[in-house]
Amino acid sequence: MAIKLSVESVSAWYGEKLAIQDITMDIEDRMVTAVIGPSGCGKSTLIRCLNRMHETIPKARVEGKVLLQGEDIYAASPVSVRRRIGMVFQKANPFPTMSIYDNVAAGLRLNGVRNRDELDKAVLGSLKQAALWDEVKDSLDESGASLSGGQQQRLCIARALAVKPEVLLMDEPCSALDPIATAKIEDLIFDLKKDFTLVVVTHNMQQAARVSETTAFMYLGKLIEVNNTRELFERPREALTESYITGRFG
Amino acid sequence: MPQAAERKALEKGLHKLNENMVTLAELAELSIRKAVDGLTRLDPEVAQEVFTLDQEVYGLQLEIERTCIDLLALHAPVARDLRTITTSLKITTDLDRIGRYGKDLSELTLQFRDRHIVERADVARIQEMADRTITMVDTAIEAFVHRNAESVRNIIEVDDAVDLLHDENFKDIVRRMTEGKLNVETGARYLLVNRYFERIADHAVNIGLRVVYMVTGDWLPRVRAADRAKRRDDGSAKPTP
Repeated sequence: MAIKLSVESVSAWYGEKLAIQDITMDIEDRMVTAVIGPSGCGKSTLIRCLNRMHETIPKARVEGKVLLQGEDIYAASPVSVRRRIGMVFQKANPFPTMSIYDNVAAGLRLNGVRNRDELDKAVLGSLKQAALWDEVKDSLDESGASLSGGQQQRLCIARALAVKPEVLLMDEPCSALDPIATAKIEDLIFDLKKDFTLVVVTHNMQQAARVSETTAFMYLGKLIEVNNTRELFERPREALTESYITGRFG
Repeated sequence: MPQAAERKALEKGLHKLNENMVTLAELAELSIRKAVDGLTRLDPEVAQEVFTLDQEVYGLQLEIERTCIDLLALHAPVARDLRTITTSLKITTDLDRIGRYGKDLSELTLQFRDRHIVERADVARIQEMADRTITMVDTAIEAFVHRNAESVRNIIEVDDAVDLLHDENFKDIVRRMTEGKLNVETGARYLLVNRYFERIADHAVNIGLRVVYMVTGDWLPRVRAADRAKRRDDGSAKPTP
């Protein structure tokens, strides 16, 4: 199986505080990797290190290497990295003053695309990929903030997809959504893995079990176990993993 | 993620499930022991007791199924909890079948008794088959109760001996029927007795393999004795590196 991202001995700090410690793992191409663990275990910090978002926080720093198909992302410019490795956050954050269309086109415009046909094509394609097109095709000029929570999250996914990233990082993408909106995002994750590599941080272990091929379990800033998802939930290798997923602590 | 209260509720459910499973296993084993006792002594009262036991086994099996479905639906269990529940769900069927074979043996007891045709030598053969089978059931149940995978890892090999005895008995019964030394109807019933024990042993194997999965997560494949022997031969034929 091809490796898309290699995380090599990555540690990250917030000031003096060590948040994640010596993480090494491979992320497979066009697969879904879930990251689970109790609050504060460092799972969001880990994925924020994967597209250089962590360093945007004052006094935060990262050590170690993250290789995107062999190239160290910390040797490239952060903007180019984030174009190749997109991110969707816990809380849907569409640009509130922009229309649905402009929200999706924002990344492309930032990258200098001005041609209307090209933008139209990208917006249509991204909204379709994000399974939102049918619901918004007649209201592209309305504000992104007018959509429901689930639709806003799919709008943010469409916005991330518009710049054609290779990897999509999702930080608790369904935690603010109801079960129906959650199911739509999960269906979407399933469809997206045909074209993208996905890393999904989730609090919801059943969601990890449903959507991912590989699951990583983190605890107190350390990577405890990375395993085939079915294996991890059926017969985890580590006693700590078993204790967490069966609810004996956390 | 299950919170402490939810974990407690799951623990409570698993505890109840285990208690019922142990009772079900005891009832199923008792059913077989009584059936054998009834068969070898041609005692109709014991046979009646087995019929009652069969009803209890069935009722408890249904209750266990409901408990398992509730636990799966309400707690979405994983890892060992999940393996315990799915294993319980599967082996209740084996235990129920074992109980049913007890009932079937007791029905044969009543038929044998009406005809007064059982010979001492035949009783001895039944007893040997019964002893080996009951030992297997007992081992499998003990393994479940004590969560002991190691004691049942080789249960398939133990079953080979029962299969062998089954084949020997089968040939012997057919030969005696052919030679006119055994009434055909009686012989046919012996064949059934022989077959029931062989099937009970197979259910003990199922339980054993499921217990290995429950405890360790390992799936042990069911491989026919002939194929296992072939593999052993192939393995020993290979030069050591």
